[in-house]
Amino acid sequence: MRISPAKLLIVIALCLVVLVEARTILAFFDVEVSVLEIALVGVVAITALVVWAVRPADEETSEP
Amino acid sequence: MTDLFVDEYPEQARLVRAAFLTSFVALGIGALFGVIQALHRTGVFRIVESTTYYTVLTGHGVFLVITFTIFFLVGLYQWAVTDSLQRGPVDARLTWSWYGLMSVGTLIAAIAILAGFLDDPPDVLGSELSADVLFTFYAPLQANPIFYAGLVLFVVGTWLAGADWFRTWWAWKRDHPGERIPLPTFMVLTTMIMWYISSIGVAVAILAFILPWSLGLIDSLNPTLTRTLFWYFGHPVVYFWLLPAYLLWYIVLPKLSGGRLFSDPLARVVFILFVLLSTPVGIHHQYLDPGISEGFKFIAMTNTMFLLLPSLLTAFTVVASMEHGARQRGGTGTLNWLRALPWKDPAFTGMALAGLVFAFGGFTGIVNAGMNINYLVHNSLWVPGHIHTQVGTAVALTFMAGSYWLVPQLTGNRLVGRQIALFQVVLWFVGIVFMTNSMYRAGLIGVPRRSAEPQYAFDYEVGVGSMTELDVQLALGGVLLFVSTVLFLAIILLTAFNTDSDPLVDGTIPPALSGPEDSPRVLDDLRVWIGIALVLVVIAYAIPLASIVDRGGLFGPDVGPFPVVVDGVMYLQHGVAYVGVLIT
Ligand code: HEM
Ligand SMILES: [Cu+2]
Repeated sequence: MRISPAKLLIVIALCLVVLVEARTILAFFDVEVSVLEIALVGVVAITALVVWAVRPADEETSEP
Repeated sequence: MTDLFVDEYPEQARLVRAAFLTSFVALGIGALFGVIQALHRTGVFRIVESTTYYTVLTGHGVFLVITFTIFFLVGLYQWAVTDSLQRGPVDARLTWSWYGLMSVGTLIAAIAILAGFLDDPPDVLGSELSADVLFTFYAPLQANPIFYAGLVLFVVGTWLAGADWFRTWWAWKRDHPGERIPLPTFMVLTTMIMWYISSIGVAVAILAFILPWSLGLIDSLNPTLTRTLFWYFGHPVVYFWLLPAYLLWYIVLPKLSGGRLFSDPLARVVFILFVLLSTPVGIHHQYLDPGISEGFKFIAMTNTMFLLLPSLLTAFTVVASMEHGARQRGGTGTLNWLRALPWKDPAFTGMALAGLVFAFGGFTGIVNAGMNINYLVHNSLWVPGHIHTQVGTAVALTFMAGSYWLVPQLTGNRLVGRQIALFQVVLWFVGIVFMTNSMYRAGLIGVPRRSAEPQYAFDYEVGVGSMTELDVQLALGGVLLFVSTVLFLAIILLTAFNTDSDPLVDGTIPPALSGPEDSPRVLDDLRVWIGIALVLVVIAYAIPLASIVDRGGLFGPDVGPFPVVVDGVMYLQHGVAYVGVLIT
């Protein structure tokens, strides 16, 4: 784990907030995103986050 | 090494537990009603008739913002006074009396509300037993008299609770001459001063007008007057919900973060500002009420904007304390210290997320407070959006998180399911974001609040997405919140029965970085602040109330029997006839 499960949970929750609010904000700039699209983005983003989080934090991976 | 609260003050712990129990029962029923509303309004699933919707909504409002919040408050304040003055009440009989009075009042009001579910409610005191009047009970909506009587008993109970805490403080003062009031007690006393000044309004509204009217002793009242008296109390009551949450943020959150409160004097200033400014702003709920001149509404708006100050001071102090705590735990960097906070502690995480939601909700409050832009959102679903970010989360989630820290100290039992507790507070946070985002957006396009059938027969011009999407989002958020509440209640229940365990909690509160000695003593001179608060109240309310009474009469506008138009037509006829006679 690169971050603790507790922090992972909270980061996922914050992601959900951003996803929910994103459509409203983007619409201010005339960028219309459908529910399906945002859900897809969400699934991809959260999966990536989880994959990143559970990988062991070893020295070989080129982490900045 | 300190003893647990329950070991040091077993009798006080028992009272706090009793108060929390009542509070949590109300939370459970309120949340059930909440999810019923969320599913009903959106047409997802209906188990009650639409005509019963107001029974549910009255229960939701009263059980959550009166019973849940205020019973938690009295429990928390009893703990705060006892713990910070290190002594019990002067006379425990008074303590149990106010608890009893509040409970009996609640029970009576609850019976009146719940009787609304009966097909054929019995007659009590000359009218049908029901109270479908929502928690604002605006006349001419009328409930059975026992509903109002229950509310009065409840409020009198809170007054006695305040008197009890003042007595404990006076006894302490005699033993500690010249010492500064400990901060938690200072917060309790200032909150109660605000409550005494403001709850007079609702007491007068009920005792002088609404209760006699519901009993048939007087046959009319002036709705503008009773509404104005209600809101005279109705804005301060939101701080009555909020200030116990502030107490937890100022006293407990810095400790949970691993540090100490940044500034004790700032905290005192904040509470004094609430004493001064909470009441002379109530008219901001009445921007759309006819019968109150624009000028008075403008004054209320100006005062309201000043109220941003204590909230911003709080944001500063609390975040500064958290940062200090994080750095004590080894956090570094401009923002990296955030990672050093104890996120796996549900008590900490719950309060921190509640604070985050509160900041966001505060901005929507500025929208409500602005006279012109208020017209856009007034009585729309936007308002419950605001309600749920503020009392429904900033307060409710803080109380739940605080319980995870307090209940083990009150019972001597270890908290059950710490990880589930963490999940519970995060789930609440996610649920509230789903539900309120939908409410805010729906409100902006004009979807009304307080309606079982908000769709009516026309299509709303939804800016982003569709009405269906907003409905689904609201219902989903409501279900998540309900599940979160059930988890919370289950964890607390299991903890209460987790007797053969030792709590892993340290109840000591470290002193503030900048203590009370850094502030002028006048901050503790409560009489000064009471005096100024009363002057402000008189300035804000004397003329508006006088003009309302002048215009509409103490007991109602002198409108002749209905239909009024007939009179007018008759006068016109007489006039025409008279003129006719003159001419001929
Ligand atoms: C299970 C969680 C909850 C759900 C699903 C929920 C749902 C709702 C819904 C849908 C409404 C709007 C009803 C309408 O205007 O037609 C509402 C109103 C309201 N809710 Fe909640 N709620 C929840 C929790 C809370 C909490 C914790 C509080 C406060 C502590 C609260 C306080 C209120 C208040 C004051 C109103 C306005 C009542 C009125 O208009 O008279 N709710 N709730
Ligand atoms: Cu207000």
